[in-house]
Amino acid sequence: MSAAADSKRSASFRQSTALAILKQNGLNIFLAIIALVFIGFAITTHNYLTLFNIKTIVRDAALVGIMGIGLTFVTLSGNFFLLSMKETAALCIITFATSMSHDYGFIISLVGALAVAMVSGGLQGLLIGRGGNPIVVTLGAAGILYGIASWWSDNLVISFRRPNDAEWLGTGSVMGIPNITITFIVIAILAELVLRKTSFGRQVYLIGANRAAGKATGHENRSMAIKVCMIASVCCAIVAVAFSAQMSSAQANYFSSEFGSSGDFTILVIATVMVAGNSIMGGYGSTLRTSLGAVFISAVDNMMVLQGYNSGPRVLSVGLMIVFSILVFAYIRRDNRSEG
Amino acid sequence: MTNAPWLELKGIQRHFGSIKALRGVDIKINRGEVLGLVGENGAGKSTLMKIMSGFDNSFTGDVFVDGSLVELGSPNKAQALGIAIAQQELSLIPTLSVAENIFLGGNHGPTIASLSTLSNLARPFLDEVGLNDIDPKMRVHRLSVGESHLVEVARLVAHKPQLLILDEPTAALSETDSERILNMVNRLKENGKSVIYVSHRLDEIFKIADRVTVLRDGASQATKLASELDVPNLVTLMLGRELSDMFPPKNLDRQGTSAFKISDLWPDGLLSPISFSVNKGEILGLAGQLGSGAGEILAAIAGSHPVRGGLITDMSSGQSFLPKSSKIAISHGIAYCSPDRKHDGLFLGRPISENLTSPNLKRISLKGILNTSKSDSLSADIAESFTIDPSRLPHEASVLSGGNQQKVALGKWLSINPGLILVDEPTRGVDVGARAEIYQKLVELAESGVSIIVASTDLLEISELPSRVLTFYKGALTSELEGSKVNTDNILKEITKPESFLQLAGDAS
Repeated sequence: MSAAADSKRSASFRQSTALAILKQNGLNIFLAIIALVFIGFAITTHNYLTLFNIKTIVRDAALVGIMGIGLTFVTLSGNFFLLSMKETAALCIITFATSMSHDYGFIISLVGALAVAMVSGGLQGLLIGRGGNPIVVTLGAAGILYGIASWWSDNLVISFRRPNDAEWLGTGSVMGIPNITITFIVIAILAELVLRKTSFGRQVYLIGANRAAGKATGHENRSMAIKVCMIASVCCAIVAVAFSAQMSSAQANYFSSEFGSSGDFTILVIATVMVAGNSIMGGYGSTLRTSLGAVFISAVDNMMVLQGYNSGPRVLSVGLMIVFSILVFAYIRRDNRSEG
Repeated sequence: MTNAPWLELKGIQRHFGSIKALRGVDIKINRGEVLGLVGENGAGKSTLMKIMSGFDNSFTGDVFVDGSLVELGSPNKAQALGIAIAQQELSLIPTLSVAENIFLGGNHGPTIASLSTLSNLARPFLDEVGLNDIDPKMRVHRLSVGESHLVEVARLVAHKPQLLILDEPTAALSETDSERILNMVNRLKENGKSVIYVSHRLDEIFKIADRVTVLRDGASQATKLASELDVPNLVTLMLGRELSDMFPPKNLDRQGTSAFKISDLWPDGLLSPISFSVNKGEILGLAGQLGSGAGEILAAIAGSHPVRGGLITDMSSGQSFLPKSSKIAISHGIAYCSPDRKHDGLFLGRPISENLTSPNLKRISLKGILNTSKSDSLSADIAESFTIDPSRLPHEASVLSGGNQQKVALGKWLSINPGLILVDEPTRGVDVGARAEIYQKLVELAESGVSIIVASTDLLEISELPSRVLTFYKGALTSELEGSKVNTDNILKEITKPESFLQLAGDAS
C-alpha cells in the first residue's frame, strides 16, 4: 500500500522534474529528442546508423530544408505561410529544364528560374503587404503558377541530355558530401546570420512581433512582405534547380504528393517550420530551428522507410509531428512567459 | 455577529516560487462601505483581487465572511458567497443586446425567455448602476466605453452580490464617464452593498472611499479613514517615501524660438483645420475628453492618422511637409507615443533592448550589419536616462509592469534624437512612482531643447505639466490658455463647455 503510494509519488516527482527541464530550453529539448530518435532506432533498425544512411538523411532534408528556411522568413515576419511553395518550385523547375533543354547552359537557366521566383514572390508580397490575406493570395497564386507550369510543359516530362553543366549541383560531391547538402548548410548558416546580425533581420523580428508597433517605428510590412516573399520564392527556385539537376529532367508535378512518396511538398515545408517551434504568429523563432526541423523529419521518415512503412503512415507521422510540436512549444512558451 | 465586518482577510500570503507576491495582508470591509485599495504596480493588488474572487486558491491565511471562516476555493464559490469582481478588460459580447449580456452565463436568468421579457428583467439592474436611459434591447457595440463598463457592473449586480470589487473601472474613461462610475458606486453603497475600489486615480479615491487600505511590497499598510488622509499623505504611504512634488516646477518664460509650425492641419475627426506652433524647449498641452480631437491631432502630426490637408514646418531646417507615414515623421525627428502602448508602442515579445533601439536601426548598424556594442551602449544609455533596470534589458518587454513599459515605449524615441516628441496619455495605467519619473524626464527633455506636445484626459496632469494648453471640445479648438490661466478649473470649463449646453437649452425653450 505504502509502496504503491511511494511509487506514485516518485512518478509524479519524475513528471514534475521532466516538466521543469522542459521549461528551461525548448531548443535543447528538441536536440535531445533528435538524439533519442537516433539512438533508439540505431539499435532496432538495421542499417540505420551507418555513415551512408546519415548522409542520406541530411541530403534528403536538404531540399525541404532550403524551402523551409525561405518560408521561415515569411512566418517570422508575421505574414503566416506561403501556400504556393510547391507551385513556385514547379514553375521554376519547368523554366530551368526548358532552358537547359534548349542548351542555354546552367547559369542562364538558373537566372531564369530565379527571375520567375522573384517576380512571382514579389507580386504575392505586394498583395500581402497591401493587406491581402496571405492564405487567399498564395492559394490563388498557387493555382496560377501551377496552371502556367502545367500548360507550358503540356504536363510532360522535359528532359535534357547528360552530361551537362548542372550535374555538379545534382549529383556532385566534395569529399563525399553531396553538393546539395553543402548548399543546404551554406544557406542555413547564411540565413541565420542575416536574421541575427543584420538590421533587415531585426526588422523581420520586430514586424513579426507587433506589426502596428513596427509601422509606428518606421518598419513597414508593406515592403517587408515583398522582401520575405521573394526570399521564400528564391529558395523554391534553388530547390527546383537542384532537383532538376539531379534528375536531368522536370515535370510540373515533381513536388506534388503523387510524386514525392512522403507527401505534399508544401505541407512538408510548413512542417519543418512548425516542428521546431517557430511562432506561427511571427516574431519568435529562427531558421536554425527550421533546419533542425528538416533533419528531424527526414530522420523519422528515413527510419520508417527502413522499417518498411509505405507512404500512408509516413504522411501520418509528419502530420502528428506538426500537431505535437505545436502543443509542446505552446506549452514551453506560455510557461516561460508566466515565469517573468 | 453584527459587529463583525462582512469580509475579513487575515495574514494572507502568496508565493510564486521564491517570489513573495503577498507577505501578510489584512483587509476588512463592512457592509455598505466603500474601501479604496491603492498601491503601486507590483504591490500585489491583482494577486489579492484574484484571491478574493476565488481565481487563486494557492494562498495561506484566513478568510472570514460574517465572522465565520470560509473557503473561497473557486470563482463559483466566491460568487455564491456574494463576491463579484469587475475586471479592467470588458467581457461583454458586442453583438448581443444589453439584456442578453446581463443574463449571459450563470443561472441567474430564466432558461427560455423572449428579448422583451429579458429586457424587463434587466431593467432594475440597469437602474441600479444608473443606466436609466438605456434601452436593454440595444446592442452593446452601440454603447460608449463608459456605458459598457456600467453594463458590465450591472451584470455583476444581477448576481445580487454583497461585495463588488472594481478593478480600475475608470482607467480608460473620460472625465464625464468616470463621474457616472463614481455615482454608481455611491448608489451601490446606499443599497447596502460593499465595494472595493481599486484605482490609480487618487482624486477618485478621495471622492468615494470611506476607508483606504494601502498595499506596499505585498503587505498591507495601515488602513485609514479617507477623511484623515490627503494626497501627499497617501502617496507617501504608497511609496514608503516622501514624494515632495509629483510635478517639476513649470518653466513659464517662453523665451524659446518657434521650432515646429503646424498650419491648417485637418485631421479626420476635427470640425475644422487647426494652426499652432510649438517653441523649442516648450511643453504644450492639448486638453480634451475622449472624442475631442486632441489625440487625433498628435497622431496626424506623426503620420499615423488620416488628414485632409495641412502642412508642418520644421523651423530649424525650413522644410515643410505632411507626413503620410510614421516613417516620414521619424525622418523629420518627430516621435509619437500613442495612448495604447500594447497596441503600437511596444514589441512585447522582444527583448527590452531591441525595443529601445527599434526606431533607429541605422544608428546601431553599419551598412546593414548590426553592431552589438553600439546597440548595447545605446540601450544602456536610454535605460539609465529613464531609470529602467539595466539587468532586465535582455528580458522580454512583456515582463515589465505598466509603468516600466511606458518608460520603454517613451524612452525608445531617444534613439532618434527627436526634435519634437508627441505623447498621448503619457501616464495611462502607470503607478505614481513611475508617473513622477516620466514627468521629470519630459521636463528634462524640454530643458534640453526638445519640443514636447502632450495630450491628456487627466486634468491634474494636463494642468500641472504644460506651460501652455490648447483646449478641445467635440472636434473644435475652444481656447488657448497660458501662464497662470493654466489650471484645472479653466481647463475643465473649456473641455466640457457647460455654457454651450446652457445656450442650446436656452435657445430651445
